[in-house]
Amino acid sequence: MDPLRYLLILAACVAVTLPLELVLGARVYRQPRRLLLALAPVVAVFALWDLIAVARGHWWFSERYTTGVILAGLPWEEWLFFLVVPLCALLTFEVLGRGPQLLRRAREARSTHRRATDGEPAQPQLPATGSSRGR
Amino acid sequence: MAAEYTIAAVAAPVAVVGLELAVLRTGLLRTVRYWVTVAISLAFMVPVDGWLTRPDATVVHYAEEQISGLRAPWHIPVEDYGFGLALITLTLLLWQRQRGRTPAEGEARDG
Repeated sequence: MDPLRYLLILAACVAVTLPLELVLGARVYRQPRRLLLALAPVVAVFALWDLIAVARGHWWFSERYTTGVILAGLPWEEWLFFLVVPLCALLTFEVLGRGPQLLRRAREARSTHRRATDGEPAQPQLPATGSSRGR
Repeated sequence: MAAEYTIAAVAAPVAVVGLELAVLRTGLLRTVRYWVTVAISLAFMVPVDGWLTRPDATVVHYAEEQISGLRAPWHIPVEDYGFGLALITLTLLLWQRQRGRTPAEGEARDG
């Protein structure tokens, strides 16, 4: 398991944040083009920093706790790190942007439930739209 | 020579803020939502980075002469927070900049 350690840490980050997209309605994975355009410069800049830092001996990676697959001078786990960490931040940011909407929906769900138990017809759910894009 | 990672870890967030103020001008840094995102992200960075730098099973090693030597909590070099802050902030800035630039990919629908 040792060589998978770095990879498993990253996998845990993905797993923990996945419900933000699947349950809480963040739309990050579902905007692949926007995601690609936002992340490409980030990966480029930070991989360059990483390569310079490694070349100058600022830090180095354990051979025991990485798979040993090197991609353009860096362990491939390190490349994944520059995708996974930004993804986690974006998912957090998007869910926070949906906060007011999520609260309203929770309230609606409660009142719909009350009406339903009172035998009144439930109101149709408001379509939750892209207004989450507001800050 | 001063510790290079220490210098870079301070310079990077400053450079990202400069990029926002001079070029991107998204206004993101004035939103509560950004700061809450940073707080949550850095809080989650602690266990992740703590695991990567734990002394008994270190994934990433640092040259002592290139860091300040301040490590908190556990064995995390404080420089990593500057690195993380710059990484997260640049990501969010470019994400916001792409808002409305890229065709709304099904954004109007609710998933």
